[in-house]
Amino acid sequence: MKRYQQGRWLQAGLAGAVLLLSCNVAQAQKEGDGSFFDGLLGGIDVSVGGFVRVENAFQTGGENPNNQNGNTFNGVTVARMPGVPVPGSQALSFAVPNPLLADTTTRTGIDTSNNWSNYHILRGEVETGIRFTSDLSLIGRVRAIYDPGYDDFNAHSVDDDRGGIDGGDKALYRSSSPNYFEYRPEGKSHANPLEWAGQNYLVYFPSLFFDYNHGPLNLRVGNQQIAWGQAIFFRVFDVANGIDLRRHSVLDYAQEEYADKRVPQLSIRAGYQLTDEVLADAYVAKFQPTIYGNPNTQYNVIPVQFTVHDRYGDYDDKFSYGLRMKANYGQWGFQGMAVRRWNPDGVFRWTRSGVDKNVPSSNPLGLVVNTLNGGNSGAQLANTPFEASPGGVYSAEEWFSYAAAVRLDGVAGLNAAVNDFAPATTNVLASPVDTFAQAHNELDTFFIAAGGSLRGHIERKYFEENVFGLGVSYVTEAEPGSVFDQIIFNLETSYTPDRTFTSPDLGQNFLTQDASVTALVMEKYQRFSQSFPATYFVLQAMHRNADDLFGRSLKGYGGTRTSSPDGISSADYVVFAAQQPFPNDIYRAAIAVLYDPRGSILVQPGVKWKPRGSITIEAFYSYIEGGFAGNANKTLLSTVDFADEVTIRAAYQF
Amino acid sequence: MRIRRYDHDYSRRHFLKSVAAGVVGGGVLMPVWDAIAQTGSAAKAYPDELLSIDAYTRGRIKTGDEISAANVDQVKDLLEPIKYVQIKTLGRRLKIAPTTSDVMKLSPWEYLEATLRNAGQARFDERGNIVTLQGKPWIGGTPFPNATSALELYAGLTLNWGRHDACLYAMKEYDLNIEGDVQFNYESGWAELSPVARVSMDPKPYLPGRENKLRYQSVFFTTPDSIKGTSFLNIWDYDQNNFPELYGYVAAFKRIRQFPTDQRFEPLIPGSTLYLSDAWCAGDPLYTWGNYKVIGRGPVLAAVSGGWAGGEHPNWEHKTHGGPKGHTFWDTTVEFVPEAVIIEAEPVKFPRAPVSKKRVWIDARTQLPIAMVSYDRRGEPYRSFDGAYGLYESKGKTFNDGQHPYWSWGHVHAFDIQSGRMTRLEQVREIAGHPTRVNDAGIYDRYLTNAALMRMGSG
Repeated sequence: MKRYQQGRWLQAGLAGAVLLLSCNVAQAQKEGDGSFFDGLLGGIDVSVGGFVRVENAFQTGGENPNNQNGNTFNGVTVARMPGVPVPGSQALSFAVPNPLLADTTTRTGIDTSNNWSNYHILRGEVETGIRFTSDLSLIGRVRAIYDPGYDDFNAHSVDDDRGGIDGGDKALYRSSSPNYFEYRPEGKSHANPLEWAGQNYLVYFPSLFFDYNHGPLNLRVGNQQIAWGQAIFFRVFDVANGIDLRRHSVLDYAQEEYADKRVPQLSIRAGYQLTDEVLADAYVAKFQPTIYGNPNTQYNVIPVQFTVHDRYGDYDDKFSYGLRMKANYGQWGFQGMAVRRWNPDGVFRWTRSGVDKNVPSSNPLGLVVNTLNGGNSGAQLANTPFEASPGGVYSAEEWFSYAAAVRLDGVAGLNAAVNDFAPATTNVLASPVDTFAQAHNELDTFFIAAGGSLRGHIERKYFEENVFGLGVSYVTEAEPGSVFDQIIFNLETSYTPDRTFTSPDLGQNFLTQDASVTALVMEKYQRFSQSFPATYFVLQAMHRNADDLFGRSLKGYGGTRTSSPDGISSADYVVFAAQQPFPNDIYRAAIAVLYDPRGSILVQPGVKWKPRGSITIEAFYSYIEGGFAGNANKTLLSTVDFADEVTIRAAYQF
Repeated sequence: MRIRRYDHDYSRRHFLKSVAAGVVGGGVLMPVWDAIAQTGSAAKAYPDELLSIDAYTRGRIKTGDEISAANVDQVKDLLEPIKYVQIKTLGRRLKIAPTTSDVMKLSPWEYLEATLRNAGQARFDERGNIVTLQGKPWIGGTPFPNATSALELYAGLTLNWGRHDACLYAMKEYDLNIEGDVQFNYESGWAELSPVARVSMDPKPYLPGRENKLRYQSVFFTTPDSIKGTSFLNIWDYDQNNFPELYGYVAAFKRIRQFPTDQRFEPLIPGSTLYLSDAWCAGDPLYTWGNYKVIGRGPVLAAVSGGWAGGEHPNWEHKTHGGPKGHTFWDTTVEFVPEAVIIEAEPVKFPRAPVSKKRVWIDARTQLPIAMVSYDRRGEPYRSFDGAYGLYESKGKTFNDGQHPYWSWGHVHAFDIQSGRMTRLEQVREIAGHPTRVNDAGIYDRYLTNAALMRMGSG
């Protein structure tokens, strides 16, 4: 009999007694009669299958700059020039530099890692189907992942610097190693139902639902994912679920189209085949947000100089719902959707840090701030978005560099932090400014006053929105076998009035804008030889008017280390992908390319090999050039430019 | 006892002459369906030498014998060429059963009754589709029992595959490499439903509102895990000039994709040598192939009975033998078939197909496909497809499709002679909660809609 690994990570997940029981029963039957793989458990049909897979992404690029150990300023000496505060005068404040207190800094005590691997996990999945009657069944899939960790940031390594990091969730910001898997919004434990996670393990049910089928009605109740639309990299109709960016983020095999990335939701989904041609598909789901990688994890996209306070706990009783109608009439296909949802991506803004820690009085600027506040500047800072701790931003150079990289406005961001949190901010002599130079001086002033760096605190909130979508598909007919025969066109567009975005200044007033997303997908299978199966090609183009592929407002695009962003009017992307199965599909070669005409590209060639039914080996290389045409912050993929890697996956299925 | 009125070469001369003359209808002494209508047996249509292997070989090979490499040369002319090679060089063996004389055991009962009832009612319309004399879609049974052309024979073959109004075949698939190792195991279901020419399920003969469709057909996979939920749905127009619509649920993407309609020569899953085009030797619309012609006639050894293993295995699973590891071939029982018509056709609407032509052996009595050999673009033998049929009654056990024992296929070989890869299929009682079903109205909603594809994808 096959045995399942009994590691601690698996124990939790397989505590689902139904699954364990069914696995064992099915296995026993398989062994018992040596024949067929289903059986009867008191009149109930049981089936089980699954796989274990080793996944390893060998680093060929660099460390993630959003993490402490990948910060591009590590080991770099940067000059800081403070300015002179002039309370009450925005035009003059910090306009005059103060060279007497100028200094240089490095990111004290934080080294750059040199990992050989971006990602290495052991994954196991088991799916069980239990059929109670011909109409009713229970389908469950459990996924378990173990990640032993990397050469990563130890928060205690900076404990000697002003007492270390204070704010935020201890498990995320103050532990000896990153937490690779737990989703930990504030004030909410166990945010994802049917998920159990720890620092190094993740066990959850991507699917656990009752499936009821009677005539044209299909009803599913339970934890599930809903995939609408069809496109590689692009998601136009695929709005029902958030995306799980833990694990391998968006850098898994692109041609899998987010297959295991959608965050499952407790949902009721009803499908009804109205006629031969028309299918109605509706759902109501408990709202679950997109899950970003935790601080200092491999593909984290939020710079760790920020402490994030995720307010999902205030929204975990919310529901999203939607309806899609899909119709096929020969060469033509149509679909439309209307969804009322809580945008799972969420939006961010400055929030009070709550960290009552004085700036040190060991430097003249800190001494002034403390003195002005009766020796207790910490009480004021607690009501600002900042804390005077290590591992934050150490210089204006770093501030502006990172603001531009994450599509924020460094000057406006400073002003919003000052204005939105006055008088606490003005009590420590901060003031809004008019110019980039003033902001530069003011920031350096406060980094010096803080004794090295300031950490910024932001909160994540969620907003409701309506998403409307229309799609049409058409299959061409031309001379059989010709290039123009059987091209499948798919045009999908969605429109969201008044979508809420993170403002590039992280201000309390979020940005709202009507958002539209349109994608054209052209697919073609073409045979080039008689011995090889047809080659699959897909060419896609996407146009977005308000945000980028990662959901960030385009108004934050275009900043640099020395200038504020001027935004871009729209984002356009092109995808080309191809797959070539070899005879009998034992081998399959593929390539996927995502191109941003503003100057970045991701190229992902890969190969899949199935030497036997039980074994699958895949390898793919992700090459990312994040900015080959001027300002990298005007193009999408600079965000993941570091992540060049070769990924190898070896799976055994049972 | 019959009086021998014809010498031993009479039938051979008759077949040669009729091929040369382009005659298609079955029967040597009289039209075979006239004989069947009169007696329920085809025997009256054939001379004695075509009524048993014993008579045909003058006792050199007898009923009950096993054909192997040792004696296959004595029946070489009764085998299609790839099957001969399999026996001669790869260790395949065939057991010979008595020839079935009762035609009602060679196809579903209701289908044969409809064939007799509706004889003479079929014609081609201006688009080349089979209609009744009144111009309506076909009403059931073999449309041209006394076919007068290769096209008429093949049109009947394409019109109704499984000869039931609706079926779900629970299947197991085994894909072997040239070394004889089973590299891939799959469990799958194959669903067929006829909205026209219905003979068993109400409403008959048409499903109202769907008279312009010929067939709904899907195939889906339940194991292994990597392929679970993958499914394909074909919706066939009644007009045989049109390609079927083809949709697929791709498990890896968790969604339905539309596929090009000419995607019929591609492996659906890794390791398989089976294509949609292979189904029932007539997997594509009639006029996507062309140049149908009769190129041969004569007796054959074919597995038209004894294909069910339900008497020996609770899940109807078959035993294997032969090949390098003893797993390459199903244990197969064949019987002497007095007359098969060999039809050749070319894939005229598939200019990039890997095949240049196919030859299909059709039992002249029932017009069932017995075997198929396709040829590559160089004209070399490429792939073969041979199945075994039978009534589902054996050793005291029976599986009924209503009032009568179920008749269907039991197992299939799909063999690539150029690569040595073999795909074996068998129809089983059940796979993962999907039992074989016959003439069950629920098959449509459960397996033959886009909603069904999504549901089988399981999430």
